[in-house]
Amino acid sequence: MSNSDLFAAEGAADKHGYVIRAVDVKKVYRMGDSETHALRGATLDIHRGEYMSIMGPSGSGKSTFFNMVGGLDKPTSGKVYMDQVDIAQLDPYELAWLRCRKVGYIFQSFNLIQVMSCLENVTLPMSFAGMDDEEAREKALGILERVGLKDRALHKPAEMSGGQQQRVAIARALANTPDILLADEPTGNLDLRTGEEIINLFSQLRKELGVTIITATHDLKMLKASDRIVWIEDGLITRVTTADALDIQVQEIH
Amino acid sequence: MREKKQRMAERDTGGSAGVATVAPQSSIFNQQSSIGSQVRLPFRTAFRISVQGIRIRLGRSLVTVSGVVLGIAFLMSNLTGQLIKNGVAAKREARQQATLMAAMVRAEIGDVRDKNLAVLVCGTLRPYETELLSTIVAAKPAQLRGLGLTQEGVTPATPSTLGAGAGVLLVLGDAPSGAFALEELTQGMTQKVVLEAEAARTYAGKAALEAEASAVRRELFFGAQHEQQKARMAKEAQQAHARTLWIVVISLLVTVIGVSNALLMSVTERFREIGTMKCLGALSSFIRLLFLIESSLIGAAGSLMGVVAGAILPLLAYGFTYSFVTVLGSLPYGWLMLAGAGSAVVGTLLAVLAAIYPATIASRMLPASALRSTV
Ligand SMILES: Nc1ncnc2c1ncn2[C@@H]1O[C@H](COP(=O)(O)OP(=O)(O)OP(=O)(O)O)[C@@H](O)[C@H]1O
Ligand SMILES: [Mg+2]
Repeated sequence: MSNSDLFAAEGAADKHGYVIRAVDVKKVYRMGDSETHALRGATLDIHRGEYMSIMGPSGSGKSTFFNMVGGLDKPTSGKVYMDQVDIAQLDPYELAWLRCRKVGYIFQSFNLIQVMSCLENVTLPMSFAGMDDEEAREKALGILERVGLKDRALHKPAEMSGGQQQRVAIARALANTPDILLADEPTGNLDLRTGEEIINLFSQLRKELGVTIITATHDLKMLKASDRIVWIEDGLITRVTTADALDIQVQEIH
Repeated sequence: MREKKQRMAERDTGGSAGVATVAPQSSIFNQQSSIGSQVRLPFRTAFRISVQGIRIRLGRSLVTVSGVVLGIAFLMSNLTGQLIKNGVAAKREARQQATLMAAMVRAEIGDVRDKNLAVLVCGTLRPYETELLSTIVAAKPAQLRGLGLTQEGVTPATPSTLGAGAGVLLVLGDAPSGAFALEELTQGMTQKVVLEAEAARTYAGKAALEAEASAVRRELFFGAQHEQQKARMAKEAQQAHARTLWIVVISLLVTVIGVSNALLMSVTERFREIGTMKCLGALSSFIRLLFLIESSLIGAAGSLMGVVAGAILPLLAYGFTYSFVTVLGSLPYGWLMLAGAGSAVVGTLLAVLAAIYPATIASRMLPASALRSTV
């Protein structure tokens, strides 16, 4: 497969369509007089159900790309389509709906709500979706069981290890059965072994739920588990490779 | 709308099935392409989350509460102090009046002890008349016959038996005495002296009674003086009121700023939590509601404590300077309740007012701020 095929793959993948299409996305942060061009025109199609990793040096614009693609921020120019809908056209209610049900976010620093128990953290997005408490509780317990933390459901995040917290965060991201999981350096704050557990969990979830997973990572194991690797450098997508081609590339990073 | 509900239901069942079993890539919920609109959450949910936040951050919440307590306690203690002062002053005034009237009675019949007296009450007794009666009862007359009142030490009588053997007839109360004939009332009195605590009373019966000189009518009335005194005191009270008013207003402003400041800090502290909630689908209005509820709860709790403290402290202070009996006996409890309720409402409203700016800041926070890993 050539590089250009990977940038905008047609054919087989099209059967399920694209979950996200980013077209010439630019983002400029203005702080007083200075301007930071965090993204300089990123174009990328993300297939339904794929596991994609985003690589790039620090400050290259990975998180910025995430914010655009996940509907957390609006691009300065260019378009982001989620399921053929231009998310720039959505009103705040629709954006909130999209964040609530279409996308599950996973953060480097877990971002669990400290004042709530694990169970409440997982039921919170369900309450936002309007689900009644009893049903939400049942479902949340099911998801927590799936990530192996059912017996910890009533603990507060502060009482848990980093790996456990991240699994709760994954359970929370899955609460409303999203199409897309967006994870910004999900293993960044974890040691190698717990990081590996998280990566395995991602792989399993993708197989079981068919959820699209997009991660930014420096973790080699995570890169290897993914279908495609997107390289961002200085606000531009420079390469898109498959994990198979990784072995050669790895030499280049290190 | 209905269609949307249905779609949501589909997604949900698809979801729970997906977790439990293996759902293929082509499951229904993955094919949904249109975007719905997020619903506003019921107030109950926001309330629950707010209460949880307060409970967990109890220390910080208590500091904020104490600000409200101080402000409202100050307001309430001023109001209570005012009420106590007015009450005590009115009581004192009544006692003065009563003393004057008692002196007048003595001037007519000498020492009240072992004398026969009669009293007619039309309508209800004024405070100073009550005082007068208790003074007379305390002086242990041989007999005190009364019509129109039931009180210990007073023997009930009819209009025709009221005067029998009495040396003086007191006519008290705020209603006209036109239903009674003076002739009948003064029947059998050893000395027909009628003392009236109100000017220009008229009676039924023979018109030119005084011309017959069957009875001596005297006024026990100090009303004009009473009114003057009252006006002077009201003026003094108003001046004191204006003086304390601006101190109270300033103290309430300080409270508002304090609460606002505490909430602003709370917002900056929680920016990641707020951002995360927005990532999870919270609407801006929901975030705003969270802070408004939190603040109104803080305001209500602080106000209640402030009202209690602000009522008890002046009661103790004045209780020790005058006496507890005087203070508690002369306090207008209805007004005190009203002042308490008013202060509590003011405190709660001010707390909500203080929360508007911080809540707006919080609600405008970008969801992307949750992603920033460094604070
Ligand atoms: N909110 C913001 N305001 C101003 N500048 C920003 C903001 N967010 C990001 N930037 C800038 O945009 C550029 C890209 O940042 P971004 O966070 O996307 O990098 P990154 O690839 O995620 O880096 P890292 O690997 O360290 O997380 C950086 O130069 C950064 O300083
Ligand atoms: Mg980043």
